[in-house]
Amino acid sequence: MTTTTAEARRISVGIGQLALSRDPHDILVAYGLGSCVGIACYDPEAKVAALAHILLPSSEGKRVDDREPARFADTGIDLLLQRLAEAGAVKRRLIVKVAGGAAVLGAANAEKFKIGVRNAEAITERLKHHGIRVTAADLGGTKGRTMELHVATGKTFVRTAASPASEL
Amino acid sequence: MAVDELIPTLAAVAADGAVRAGRGLSGLMGQEISIHVPNIRTGTKNDACDAVGGEETVVIGSYLSISGDITGHVMLLFPEPRALECVDLMMGQEPGTTTGPDEMACSAISELGNIVGSAFVNALADHLNLVLHPSPPQVLHDMAIALVESVYAEVLSQGSDVVMMDAVFEDQKGRTAGLLIVAPDPASLGALQRVAA
Repeated sequence: MTTTTAEARRISVGIGQLALSRDPHDILVAYGLGSCVGIACYDPEAKVAALAHILLPSSEGKRVDDREPARFADTGIDLLLQRLAEAGAVKRRLIVKVAGGAAVLGAANAEKFKIGVRNAEAITERLKHHGIRVTAADLGGTKGRTMELHVATGKTFVRTAASPASEL
Repeated sequence: MAVDELIPTLAAVAADGAVRAGRGLSGLMGQEISIHVPNIRTGTKNDACDAVGGEETVVIGSYLSISGDITGHVMLLFPEPRALECVDLMMGQEPGTTTGPDEMACSAISELGNIVGSAFVNALADHLNLVLHPSPPQVLHDMAIALVESVYAEVLSQGSDVVMMDAVFEDQKGRTAGLLIVAPDPASLGALQRVAA
């Protein structure tokens, strides 16, 4: 089957959301990740793809709202992996790529809050806790990123306001 | 409490802040530049992105944080074409002279954000009898959603609204507009409400 750009359907994965698809026409997109981190997962055998858009590092002491199931790194990753397993993906086959965790409001502000850095650390830690190694990462810096996961191929692309899409 | 209860107070503050900012900008540029805020409203992070042209729209702007009796965040954002118009207006150039977001353009927008943001913070302090300090401005040049999202991550609780104001800049040759976003920290909302009552 050939998939042309015209047939592709972009599914926007907003802040705190996660999306899962096995439809080769779908492209899962997290637009403008600032301090947020996008986690793209793909099982090449089951041909299942999922993308989560994580806002904050930890759910500790906070209530998890159903409207933003992937708001926190810890509970968000747990749910992401659970949904993937339910859809037939196998953990050891997963190709996991992460992008984001930038300090877009400037260095002084980044020093004060460190949300981007803390997000990146929390995500790596939680994936490790589940025995998952990150295949590729584009984290940190000062620029926002848009991350795309193509369900047909499992390929992940990252672009910024200043640079065109490149494969992660 | 909801942010929208603060709208009447913030509208008065914005009107005063716009006059102060216009005076500051005119003095700096040596020509008459007026600023007015025809519209003030609350909205979600998505509304803020839509107001500057959508999530992935590249914006140029300026960010400053507020510290003191209350804490919060102020951002002045322009979609790239509007930012370039604004630079021409500030420099007293014919509209269309600035064609790209070079260092000069970013520096001008940063200064503009400093003048407008500080004027607003000072007007807020005077109206509510608060001690407030604006931080130095940080130039922003990125996708709108990445900027709004990062403020959202750092301060706002789920579903929190921000205050959005259209800021119109006008001189004899032309006019352009940006979006001023004000986001008080959740912990400061109560204090704001008490002094605004």
